[in-house]
Amino acid sequence: MKKLVALFMMTAAVTVAAKSFAAPPADTLAEVKKKGVLVAGVKDSLPPFGYIDEKTRTIIGYDIDFVNAIAKKLGVKVELKPVTSASRMPQLQEGNIDMIAATMTKNPERAKQIDFSHTYFFTGQKFITKKGSVTALKDLEGKRIGTAKGSTSEQNVKKALPTATVLSFDDYPQAFLALQQGKVQAVTTDEAILAGILAKSPNKAQFEIPNVQLSDEPYGLGMRKGDKNFVDFVNKTILEMEKSGEAKKIFDKWFGATTDFHLQRNFKITADK
Amino acid sequence: MLSYTFDWSVITSGQYHDWLVSGLKVTLQLSLAGIILSFLLGLIVAVMRMSHLKVFRWSACVFLEFTRNTPLLVQIFFWYFGSYKLLPTAVNEWLNNTGFEFAAGLIALTIYTSAFIAEDIRSGVLSIPKEQMEAAQSSGFSYLRSMQYIILPQAVRITIPPLVNQFLNLAKNSSLAMTIGVMELTYQARQVESYTFKGFEAFTAATVVYLAISVVITFLVDQYNDRVLKIHKGA
Repeated sequence: MKKLVALFMMTAAVTVAAKSFAAPPADTLAEVKKKGVLVAGVKDSLPPFGYIDEKTRTIIGYDIDFVNAIAKKLGVKVELKPVTSASRMPQLQEGNIDMIAATMTKNPERAKQIDFSHTYFFTGQKFITKKGSVTALKDLEGKRIGTAKGSTSEQNVKKALPTATVLSFDDYPQAFLALQQGKVQAVTTDEAILAGILAKSPNKAQFEIPNVQLSDEPYGLGMRKGDKNFVDFVNKTILEMEKSGEAKKIFDKWFGATTDFHLQRNFKITADK
Repeated sequence: MLSYTFDWSVITSGQYHDWLVSGLKVTLQLSLAGIILSFLLGLIVAVMRMSHLKVFRWSACVFLEFTRNTPLLVQIFFWYFGSYKLLPTAVNEWLNNTGFEFAAGLIALTIYTSAFIAEDIRSGVLSIPKEQMEAAQSSGFSYLRSMQYIILPQAVRITIPPLVNQFLNLAKNSSLAMTIGVMELTYQARQVESYTFKGFEAFTAATVVYLAISVVITFLVDQYNDRVLKIHKGA
């Protein structure tokens, strides 16, 4: 038993020591070129941004196409690591991943901890409701509204509708089930995600996404704070993609008329002020 | 993460502190109501389980096997989402407008825990010599009255230690109610984390509170053993 304890302590000590030596690189651009692989944290269950393709068993999606384009420009291979909304920032800060490409909304609190690229996807927070029940934001005052835990959607709706009761579920499918059963009067999150839920819903004729927008949701690629060379490189790359039309092509591939979403591209990738 | 700096001010005052306190209130309400209701339901099920009437015995058996052998999380979803299909529309509408989350969580916790309590009480009753029941009944007590006055008072006393375990489990299991949007302590701790990125502080506070609740329950039951039942530890 004593030996076992000693062994355990040694393992723990070594792990801690190894961790403290493996500080994240200060210049990711040089580091990625040197190792020849770009490690990106992506979502793996959120179509069409990042999800597992049933046939090939690999992760594909809008976010992944951007990662691939950046890696191609760098001349390195890509390694995708699934992350969650809660784990993506610590993973980046610990150096387990080089960048975040996981539907991450840019906001000032997050920008204190990491650096964001220019906006590569732009959406707004909206609602799904029963058809005809909501035409303006005030129709939702005092109502019960469902969303998912830990999202910016939850925080926005509380600010915009202080009289409403916000019910946070573990994920959007449950929130949508609560809407179908009348337990909430609306489900709120980014329009692109709502469109995905509605597209898959068997009784979609009963529901709609009214033209009521709560907030702008600009998505950015996340990189370590102060990693200037890498941020500049990524920004330059996505601006070029906009210019060459590649960015629009990627949007249409995942959200355009040939998909379930039928979204219009109402943004362009431009340099942030 | 190695450079993480703790900032306890997040949870000692202000809005986030208030969230945690309101979460604590909900956890206490769920736990207290759950402990009382599940004990009563557990008693009833235990008596039914030992009844000489087949119909009671069988229905208690089905209830016990069903509730003990399915995960609590599934039962919470069953009462919250599944009950919708079974109830008439008018009832559903009424429930939806009165905040069914808390009630569904409480029902699930009560029913789940009562099954374990019933089995604990039954094993307590079985440890009472069956001659006592025969003696009681030959003295003119009915089955129910013999249980009430003779058997159960002794059985419950023996059952106290395992019952404490069930009560502790119930208090901790109440955190699962957050999956259906009951804003209890763990829900609020997560909320604080997603607003402030100060998850370590929020969850440390929540852990300390759960520990405190458990210690208080254990202490109270120890006191009850000591003062009321005159059972002394180690004796």
